[in-house]
Amino acid sequence: MMERVRRILVATTALLVSVVPVGTAANADELVIAVPNWPSAEATAHIMGVVLEEKLNIDVTYQPAGTLGIFNGIDNGKIHVHPEVWLPNLTSLVEKYRDKRGTIALSENGVAASQNMCVTRYTAEVTGVKSVSDLADPKMSAKFDSDNDGQGEIWIGAATWSSTMIERIRAKSYGYADTMRLLQMPEDVAMATVDASIAVGRPFVFYCYKPHHLFRLHDIVVLEEDTFDADKWEIVFPADDANWLQKSRAETGWDASHFHVGFAAKLKEEMPEAASFFENITFTSDDITTMSYALQVERQEPAKFAKKWVAENSDRIKGWLQ
Amino acid sequence: MMVSRRKFLTTTGAAAAAAILPARDVLASRTAGESLILDPETREWVRYSQRRAYRYYKKNGQVPEEFRPRDVPFRTAEEPGTIIVDGNKHFLYFVQPGFRARRYGIGVGKEGFGWAGIVRIGRKAEWPTWTPPAEMIERRPDLAKYAGGMPGGPDNPLGARSLYLYENGRDTIYRIHGTTEPWAIGLNTSSGCIRMINEDIIDLYTRASVGAKVIVLMQGAALFRGV
Repeated sequence: MMERVRRILVATTALLVSVVPVGTAANADELVIAVPNWPSAEATAHIMGVVLEEKLNIDVTYQPAGTLGIFNGIDNGKIHVHPEVWLPNLTSLVEKYRDKRGTIALSENGVAASQNMCVTRYTAEVTGVKSVSDLADPKMSAKFDSDNDGQGEIWIGAATWSSTMIERIRAKSYGYADTMRLLQMPEDVAMATVDASIAVGRPFVFYCYKPHHLFRLHDIVVLEEDTFDADKWEIVFPADDANWLQKSRAETGWDASHFHVGFAAKLKEEMPEAASFFENITFTSDDITTMSYALQVERQEPAKFAKKWVAENSDRIKGWLQ
Repeated sequence: MMVSRRKFLTTTGAAAAAAILPARDVLASRTAGESLILDPETREWVRYSQRRAYRYYKKNGQVPEEFRPRDVPFRTAEEPGTIIVDGNKHFLYFVQPGFRARRYGIGVGKEGFGWAGIVRIGRKAEWPTWTPPAEMIERRPDLAKYAGGMPGGPDNPLGARSLYLYENGRDTIYRIHGTTEPWAIGLNTSSGCIRMINEDIIDLYTRASVGAKVIVLMQGAALFRGV
């Protein structure tokens, strides 16, 4: 029944579009691409826009928006594309809008993403730190002491990030919650600390995620740890239990994550060429690092960068359009 | 966002103290905490005390080489014009294009700044007025004559220039300013602000714009105890 209602609505909208005079080009089809406020999504949003305009002759508008707003917008037809849908982070939203409501579809191939603990190359060389568990050794911790109190410091993420709560659990499980001081700070402060630590030759250990421009800006070493084992992760959320930290454990590395392009499912019927492009689009982790570096570090203008990228990657794009 | 609300509230006391910039005579009678500075020859961090700093300055008429302004390689994603303050190593970086920065020596608070995070330059002033807070005047009746503000000048503890640090458009009461005690660069002696020798703050003042981002790194007692 719902599906039928939706079809009627879609048909009505299409009819309206055909009778209302539109002041744009002859091809009145237009897609709204949402632009979340982080560099790689800004880049991919514009790359998709350039491909749609240049190769498929579809007009595009860009709309800055946050993830929840984008999911709502796709659901109510005001937005058509979300450039980066992170999984498993957004699993609940995907279940709601893709699996239950059927309003959003995801590209088939996600970009692999990862979360780890990192050090600079200099740090790895002077401290000898190799693995996350090394940090539980007070002697190792002392090598990261930046305030002369004998105890090392480690950045575990921004206070507002959901990953930071998990990093506290990991610190407890690995034992370095007892040997190191866990710091929470905005990402810019932590990244500037990496810059300054390299400038003066001072060890620093920090939470890191890929893809990220940091890996192109500096020589970064990822600390080793056992791969994810679901049996060794038990996460109790603070909202559910005041003793969440004591009751939780995370004794291995993070589970792999990945992100996909999200697009309005109705496009499969309304604009099959565009829908098939979104389904096939395949960025690599390296692509995303390059894009984030170009925008964040080199401060390239997203629209110009996208045009250049599309010109330089025409063969790959041809494959996505078939 | 500079610090969490909670952190900001807990440091309000320290912040108030920061505004109480001690007059020269008060400070001189204090024993400053030692700090570590980089020996340019051995590239080792060596102990640096107020006595040593004062002796050095008297003999050489300037601060140790490491604390004099210089252009250094500095790879960062931050935009040129951004200021990065590394209180632990007593350096202030003014980011320049091409992965370089102009680096200055600074003096910082006895216990760091009591905060770390991201602020902006809200306004700038030449030869700023310094107003001792009421509590300070209570303890130091001789300062009563400055209750309405001590005019800018060579004896004013704010020195030649001041950059006022704002968070979300509001004055944090922290400043980057000049000093009447140039030998104190490299030490943790001030009440919380970031001090530079007058020549350097004048140089930075001409380069830094109102609205520029200022990142104060986690350091010393300012280490963010969010957990």
